[in-house]
Amino acid sequence: MSEILNIQGLYKNFGDNQVITGIDLSIDKGQVVCVIGPSGSGKSTLLRCVNLLEMPDGGSILFHGQDILGIPPSSLHAKIGMVFQQFNLFNNLTALNNCVAGQMKVLKRSKADSVERAMFFLERVGMLPYRDALPAQLSGGQKQRVAIARALCMDPEVLLFDEPTSALDPEMVDEVLSVIRTLKDGGLTMVIVTHEMAFARDAADRVVFMDAGRVVEDGDPKALFTAPKNPRTQAFLARTLRG
Amino acid sequence: MPTTFFGWIAFLLEKYWLLFLSGAINTLLIAVVGTVCGFIIGLMVAIVRTITLRRGASRVKRFGLQAARGFLSAYIEIFRGTPMIVQAMVVYYGASQYLGINIPALTAAFLVVSVNTGAYMAEIVRGGILSIDKGQTEAAIAVGMSHWQRMTTVILPQAIRNILPSVANEFVVNIKDSSVLNVISVTEVFFQSKSAAGTYFRYFEVFFITAVIYFILTFTFTRLLRLLEKKLSGASSYTVYGSQSSYAAEIEVKKE
Ligand SMILES: Nc1ncnc2c1ncn2[C@@H]1O[C@H](COP(=O)(O)OP(=O)(O)O)[C@@H](O)[C@H]1O
Ligand SMILES: [Mg+2]
Repeated sequence: MSEILNIQGLYKNFGDNQVITGIDLSIDKGQVVCVIGPSGSGKSTLLRCVNLLEMPDGGSILFHGQDILGIPPSSLHAKIGMVFQQFNLFNNLTALNNCVAGQMKVLKRSKADSVERAMFFLERVGMLPYRDALPAQLSGGQKQRVAIARALCMDPEVLLFDEPTSALDPEMVDEVLSVIRTLKDGGLTMVIVTHEMAFARDAADRVVFMDAGRVVEDGDPKALFTAPKNPRTQAFLARTLRG
Repeated sequence: MPTTFFGWIAFLLEKYWLLFLSGAINTLLIAVVGTVCGFIIGLMVAIVRTITLRRGASRVKRFGLQAARGFLSAYIEIFRGTPMIVQAMVVYYGASQYLGINIPALTAAFLVVSVNTGAYMAEIVRGGILSIDKGQTEAAIAVGMSHWQRMTTVILPQAIRNILPSVANEFVVNIKDSSVLNVISVTEVFFQSKSAAGTYFRYFEVFFITAVIYFILTFTFTRLLRLLEKKLSGASSYTVYGSQSSYAAEIEVKKE
């Protein structure tokens, strides 16, 4: 398989707070990687560095072998999409226009093409009937599905998810996770920060455990969940899976 | 000659109604043009002032942005920190003495009120922008939108809605404060009143009428603008009047 993302020696600090302390990570095209780890371990910051919402302080991130700092922001962001914990829909726009705006402004697609594509992805996430609704009229799970459709409309090669179900009521978690599962079947490369261990175990090709700004363990989900090698992974899993 | 207060009022109205009317129209015109242009200036200034550069940005960009920021801060400070009456004098006489341009008084009025209002609007708009949660900006960045695209499609439409009460308040302030433009002989309602009062030396009666005219203008427009705001924010909210002097202090409460 060909490598799509290569993170080398990544460092990031906020003032004195060393948040990412040397991360190397290579991700292949089509891979679904779940990132787990205690809160504050730098998972969000890692994702945010990958699409330059945060500027790394050291190391490099290569996308198809090219340093992301050298890629024009608009094309980088179109190719590496992001889904946020808090959905972050554009509150002034309907579900449909949330999906249309980026296509027209950034990809310079025609209105007709943008709408067609938006409808296609809204249908895929089961939100087509709500296309004219404003975000304020949608439930959390529905908002997140629109947010996923919005990201997909940009034809990303990689989609980053930062705890996509953490802000949801329990009964809405599954509707979002099942949408993400269908994307895996479509062959999209995804990096998913999650606390849903069952999902990580079943859906991921690979699980990365992070602690204190480092990748502590990285491997096959079944192996990592059933026989974690590192004591810190063991402790984390024991704590999390007990609940 | 009339002998009573009401006699004088009737007499002056009859004789000078056209003067009062043309003055009121000019006052309104100045307030409308000044507020609209000032709002546009405020939007542009706020858009520039909220640009953030990536750390990798070139020296030239960095320097250009710093220079623009410095210039805009100076503009805001100076125009908020000096009275409009003085700004009017400086612009009007400065243009004629040093640039050799005789600006028509009304044009000077539009210019001064617009630029003055722009300085206040810039801060109001900036507040509006800051009131929109950062998540939406990040989401807009994450789909690849530029600063300008983020502002025009996502942030400003929401920010403007939030600051509408303050913008309306600036309009009402401009109706009243355009009176200072009489120093450069702009024929707004205050200037016209002075002319009317001078002939018969009936300052009290004339300015009583002037006060009523100003009040009718401000009262009518505050009601109209409030109606407009209600329409825009829908029936899902109601308003608590947080201050007796400033509509900016209105607190909007969303119904559950
Ligand atoms: N913008 C920021 N400014 C300052 N500190 C931050 C910022 N973002 C994150 N941090 C800090 O970085 C650390 C890691 O945060 P984060 O990447 O969000 O962890 P996680 O997603 O694993 O919970 C935390 O200590 C957090 O306080
Ligand atoms: Mg996080």
